[in-house]
Amino acid sequence: MHNGQIKATPVVGLVGNPNSGKSSLFNVLTGLRQRIGNFPGVTVEKKAGMLRLPGLPVVELIDFPGAYSCYPTSLDERLVVQELTNPEGDLFPDAILYVADITKLDKHLLLFTQLRDLDLPMVLVLNMADRMDKDGLTVDIPKLSKQLDVPVVPVSSRDHRGITELKESITGLLLDPGHYRPRQAFYEPGAGTRDVLAELRLELPARNDYHALLLTHHAPWLRHIAEPTRHRVQQARVRHGFHSLRAQVEETMDRYNTFEPIVRGAVRHAGDATSFSDRIDRVVTHPIFGPILFVAIMLLLFQALFAWASVPMDLIELTFGTLGESIRNTLSEGWFTDLLVDGIIAGLGGVLVFLPQIAILFFFIAILEEVGYLARAAYLFDSLMQRFGLNGRSVVALISGHACAIPAIMSTRTIANWKERLLTILVTPLTSCSARIPVYVILISFAVPPVVYLDGLIGLQGLAFAGLYFLGIAGAMLSALAFKFLLNTPERSFLMLELPEYRVPVWRNVGTTVWQKSKTFVLEAGKIIMIISIVLWAASTYGPADEMAAAEAEVMERAGTQELSNEETANLLASERLEASYAGHLGKFIEPVIRPLGYDWKMGIALLTSFAAREVFVGTMATIYSVGSSDDEFRIRERLAEERNPITGEPVYNRATAWSLLIFYVFAMMCMSTLAVTKRETNGWKWPIVQFTFMTAIAYLGAMIVYQLLA
Amino acid sequence: MPFPVPAAASLFEVGQSGTIERFTNEYLAGKLLDIGVRPGSRLRVVRKSPFGGSWYVKIDRQCLALRKKELACIMVK
Repeated sequence: MHNGQIKATPVVGLVGNPNSGKSSLFNVLTGLRQRIGNFPGVTVEKKAGMLRLPGLPVVELIDFPGAYSCYPTSLDERLVVQELTNPEGDLFPDAILYVADITKLDKHLLLFTQLRDLDLPMVLVLNMADRMDKDGLTVDIPKLSKQLDVPVVPVSSRDHRGITELKESITGLLLDPGHYRPRQAFYEPGAGTRDVLAELRLELPARNDYHALLLTHHAPWLRHIAEPTRHRVQQARVRHGFHSLRAQVEETMDRYNTFEPIVRGAVRHAGDATSFSDRIDRVVTHPIFGPILFVAIMLLLFQALFAWASVPMDLIELTFGTLGESIRNTLSEGWFTDLLVDGIIAGLGGVLVFLPQIAILFFFIAILEEVGYLARAAYLFDSLMQRFGLNGRSVVALISGHACAIPAIMSTRTIANWKERLLTILVTPLTSCSARIPVYVILISFAVPPVVYLDGLIGLQGLAFAGLYFLGIAGAMLSALAFKFLLNTPERSFLMLELPEYRVPVWRNVGTTVWQKSKTFVLEAGKIIMIISIVLWAASTYGPADEMAAAEAEVMERAGTQELSNEETANLLASERLEASYAGHLGKFIEPVIRPLGYDWKMGIALLTSFAAREVFVGTMATIYSVGSSDDEFRIRERLAEERNPITGEPVYNRATAWSLLIFYVFAMMCMSTLAVTKRETNGWKWPIVQFTFMTAIAYLGAMIVYQLLA
Repeated sequence: MPFPVPAAASLFEVGQSGTIERFTNEYLAGKLLDIGVRPGSRLRVVRKSPFGGSWYVKIDRQCLALRKKELACIMVK
């Protein structure tokens, strides 16, 4: 296998425990030349980057997910074991950079000794070497290297020390892998496993005894083990009374006993390195002040999100508006110009307008993560979240969801338990995101009288506004509770959360996160939004030719008889064309369905277009009621107030309809981008369909009940 | 005051500490060993979360958040 010949693209794997600073080192080594995707067949994020080294072809560096040992409990860890026990796989590394936190060597070397026994050429990278001067920590590198029989390189992704040496040792590893192979195993399988190994050793595609042992342990779920082999392993395990858990515990204890003396002999700790973190935690994780501080931080985050994002968002809208205008003025009139301006450019603007909020949100979340705060928030709320079937880490997603569900859903990747993660993804869109704000603003004025108490300090409309947000949160938690009982998974739930020491953030990591998440959003969700907005444009522009012509003729006639101005004529034309268009037909078609909620066909069109994205509501209302421009929310409001039912003459927008619409918008799954992200994160159509169905069902029933009670 | 006989760590009060003796649940034991919690380690309960289900504990020099039911399988003396 490693016969001295170098592959066309050698693969180097970065492996290490979670919190070892692996990804930080990956960022330093590859910069922004990273590709993010999923590992084949699983929803685990795979990060790969290119590394150019003198005298070598381009090296592919893969950042494997963090793992504690070769006995996986989460999807992330399973993936590491699966790829590292499959020498035939595409991702099997030619060499491994094992990253360990220099301050936690007594724990981080467990996986190291396991991988070493798998006969993988590797270098031990001691990250966070900057701690060596500060905390009175000393490490005898030559001694450690000699006793572990592996090159040891101290590096720091903070001040970049040791990076040059690390690159040199990667070159060495790839040019002469044989030199870096272990001479002696750390662990010899004990008596309990010897018999089963003796029977299976030749049966299994294993490179050595330890490889065979791991395959014996994990054959039931490893993808690269053929079905007949799996069956034989199962039989041999039963025949020899092989107890996987017991063997694992025995092996782990044995390994600790082997490497602990080595670490003790080479590493000296002076002073209490964690006292600073302890003092901060006394406040941050305090049973009373902790949650208060959490709420304060979240309020600050929201404030920043709305305050900072509004300027770039306005700029993006302005830019795309201007771009559309100038294209319309430059190109000749026709379907192509319409498609370009109303379909593609409007769609593109609709995607990019979310970018500032997504970038700012990830900026804050990356900082909180880097500092070490997110682990504390998860600790504070874990037991509350548990009751609803969620995990402490779900708090982050539920809070972020109030800005935008898309980055919030992407942030659930930190939840190791699949069921808890899925539940978080499913219920996060119920929290009221910023796109609902314009809809709420317009409709609340019809739903709630402008009554104020205490000299205007408390307004009934403001209370209703806050109530809608609360309704969203309550809906999310209760839905999670329902799913908790509906879904069953064999995977066990853990908290077992490390609370890392507080650190100043590495800004490079913050920047990389913001860049990567923004890019992913634009590329992945963007595609879907574009397609939907083009379809919407076509449906609301075209209709059966005869009806469209009839509508135009009628407008011209009315313009003549009623002496309408040019603007009024154009507005009326837009409105009549919409009614005659395919979208208009669709609105009339679904009218019977939405009638129990108190909606007419015009609201039906607005509802339908809102399924692409909620904020489309205002624009569609503007077109339908021929206001012309959607810039002025107050004009739409006046126009809506004048709208009468043609049969009864009653106002269409009364208290009942407005509340019914509000309830519908709180609960309904009206965001294509969110569904696209859910599909991506859950690897299939099943969960986005479930999400769409349950949210829309709640919305429909809720709106119907409210309307029937109030009407 | 450490218990004279091994007791589950979930019975500890804030501030109490002891030495881990063994685990009573093999599945959790495997996971706890992986993250560096093992017999011989010093365990100290630092504080409990607002709703009581998860505890902030210090094991040797490492800070961890463990659920009460996870602590129930750690025997400490």
